[in-house]
Amino acid sequence: MGTPPRSPDVLRPALEHLVKGIVDNPDDVRVRMINGRRGKRLEVRVNPDDLGTVIGRSGRTAKALRQVVTGIGGRGVRVEILDSY
Amino acid sequence: MAETTTDVARGEASEGRTTAGVDTDALFEQSEIAADYVEGLLDILDTDGDIDELVKDDRPIVEVVGEGLNQLVGPGGATLEALQELTRLAVFRKTGEHSRLMLDIGGFRSSRRAELQALAKKVADEVAQYGNPVRLDPMNAFERKCVHDVINARKDVASESEGTEPDRRVIVSPA
Repeated sequence: MGTPPRSPDVLRPALEHLVKGIVDNPDDVRVRMINGRRGKRLEVRVNPDDLGTVIGRSGRTAKALRQVVTGIGGRGVRVEILDSY
Repeated sequence: MAETTTDVARGEASEGRTTAGVDTDALFEQSEIAADYVEGLLDILDTDGDIDELVKDDRPIVEVVGEGLNQLVGPGGATLEALQELTRLAVFRKTGEHSRLMLDIGGFRSSRRAELQALAKKVADEVAQYGNPVRLDPMNAFERKCVHDVINARKDVASESEGTEPDRRVIVSPA
């Protein structure tokens, strides 16, 4: 509603900020935007100790992260959460 | 650039504690951490918004006011709810406290509360008049509380919630 579409460039730093703020090891957070054949995806890598936090009970936190990404202009961009480096 | 202003409503608090024994300094710290987290997001999104931090009724509150915030509210407040959940987690990480922090963006919650108060009054009047219980539509926790607060203030009706999220509803019955 009157808001111009957000540049996809902000999705990566926005998601990185949201994840860094909720984990015990923010320096271990890596977020990459990947342009795959099946569309764009944001790949979030966190310290294995923080994986449970970022996914949450029944995937609740992961769902909240996806909802915010969709809300800020990332509709159709998948969010993948991984614990490997 | 998002700007932060602070305002602590201490009420009857003495020595930083309310009569309920809640540490208002701790609650204020929660609202500060929450405001920093939200402000960081607004800065990345290059969204203008004034951020107010306050403690009201023993609850930390962060309110973002400004234009162009609709995206952060989302359909039916879905994005706002998600952001509130993440913000509570950010507070938990820094304090170890499970926070009851309330986040409002663009006045969404205050206008939704006003709608629900009007609905609750109308339903309560009907229940009191006709004596039949009424089941309301499914609501989230914030919305149910808005309704319960209206019903609890009356003597002629009572309310309870039933069902599980996201289909949890308020039932209003004659007292």
